[in-house]
Amino acid sequence: MACLAIYLPIFAQQGHPLTGTWSGTWGTTPAQRNQVTIVMNWDGKNVTGLINPGPDSIPLSSVSVDYSRWTVHIEANGKDRIVAEGKLEDLGSYHRTITGTWAQGTTKADFKVTRD
Amino acid sequence: MKPVAIILAALPLFAQSVATYDSSRAVKLTGVVTRIEWANPHAFLFVNARDTRWAVELGNPIALEHDGWTRNSLHVGDSVNVEGIAARDSTTRVFGKSVILTKTGKKLFTPIPRRAIALAKEPAPRWPDGQVRLGPAPGKKGYWGAASGNALVDNTARKVAMNEEGLLRNLAEVDRVAPFQPWAKAVYEYRQRTLLKDDPLTRCLPPGGPRQFQMPNGFQFVEQRDLGRILLLLGGGNRNWRVIFTDGRPQGQADEVVRSYYGNSVGHWEKDTLVVDVIGFNEHFWFANGGLPHTEALHLTERFTRPDLGTLRYEVTVDDPRTYTRPWTGGWNVPWVPNEEMQEYFCEENVEATLSGKGSYK
Repeated sequence: MACLAIYLPIFAQQGHPLTGTWSGTWGTTPAQRNQVTIVMNWDGKNVTGLINPGPDSIPLSSVSVDYSRWTVHIEANGKDRIVAEGKLEDLGSYHRTITGTWAQGTTKADFKVTRD
Repeated sequence: MKPVAIILAALPLFAQSVATYDSSRAVKLTGVVTRIEWANPHAFLFVNARDTRWAVELGNPIALEHDGWTRNSLHVGDSVNVEGIAARDSTTRVFGKSVILTKTGKKLFTPIPRRAIALAKEPAPRWPDGQVRLGPAPGKKGYWGAASGNALVDNTARKVAMNEEGLLRNLAEVDRVAPFQPWAKAVYEYRQRTLLKDDPLTRCLPPGGPRQFQMPNGFQFVEQRDLGRILLLLGGGNRNWRVIFTDGRPQGQADEVVRSYYGNSVGHWEKDTLVVDVIGFNEHFWFANGGLPHTEALHLTERFTRPDLGTLRYEVTVDDPRTYTRPWTGGWNVPWVPNEEMQEYFCEENVEATLSGKGSYK
């Protein structure tokens, strides 16, 4: 079977570190994972965005950042309330990450997302 | 008596990156040259010494050739003594401070004293209608050289000390550089603390914004008055170019302009000053040495003034309300390099890859 190589452009986003699309998983164990996509945008005063863009997307209700430690607090109100606490790492990287805890309803989990 | 400015007709070398090299770790080598790589942004020698292959980084080839050195100044098989500083990552890479040909004792790749050119403070050349020319007078050669300023700083602040790459001598002075929003200050501090290691320019991405005028290889204007535009040819940053429309068209709508490294430029003249409005930047670059951040909301107002033949005053007002708390202005002077043409420069990122053995550079 022929293998098709596809080149994807890699553009480091050098503006606000949270702006962009972040993809990864959350779950209670390494084996039980749920795909998640978070889209965030800095408008000059607030970070706005949504979780899992599409018909079942959940708007972010609040995003706050502690710039001294680069920790991120995300809240969203969908069918269940979502609260994610994470640390932004590899700040200058093409593919920086946010890793931390994910609470959805009564479920406590961890998550990791990487900026596309 | 006319006042006379003395300039040296020499391009500055690229400073060795402080992110790459540790000036406190001196290295001395004696060995045989196995390869010479005459590539931008830095030339390299490869030397077998101490049973190891060392990569010795030199200056920028354009600057070296300007000083009379070429790839043929040294040959494969020659024995050399090298003094330099070691790379921070402890690889066998050295920034060469001194290269001496063993058999003759001749010191290579150092600036050769050149006759200073006396550039009289002559008036700026003008078009027949009296408008200042930004290029050479008819029949003359020349281009604009390296900026007098290493970094862009809010001109309401007192002088802020920085090195050639825009690294603050004292990080506590960060608040005097620009009126940062908190996130932007944190990003700027991060870039400073990490010695600019993530600089997109080191990956050969274009130097958009004011940084295009901080590149060591200069730039020149080509005024196409009949077409209502000015071409800006950039000597650094992969021989890029930019168009400034002066035909009276309005600036585009910020949400409709295609985002780019150099933005969308429309200009007009205010007496002897070319005023250029620029919007439509992407977020893939650092717009000034030192790592100043910006967003797509960046709006620049550039002012180019040529008070005399040998001087271009560049002043830029930075307005990015998503990054800074207020608009701010900075700038520098740029000297005219007379009687010469700008040289070709291309950034060749894969020189780095060849050192690691992982790249495809041949």
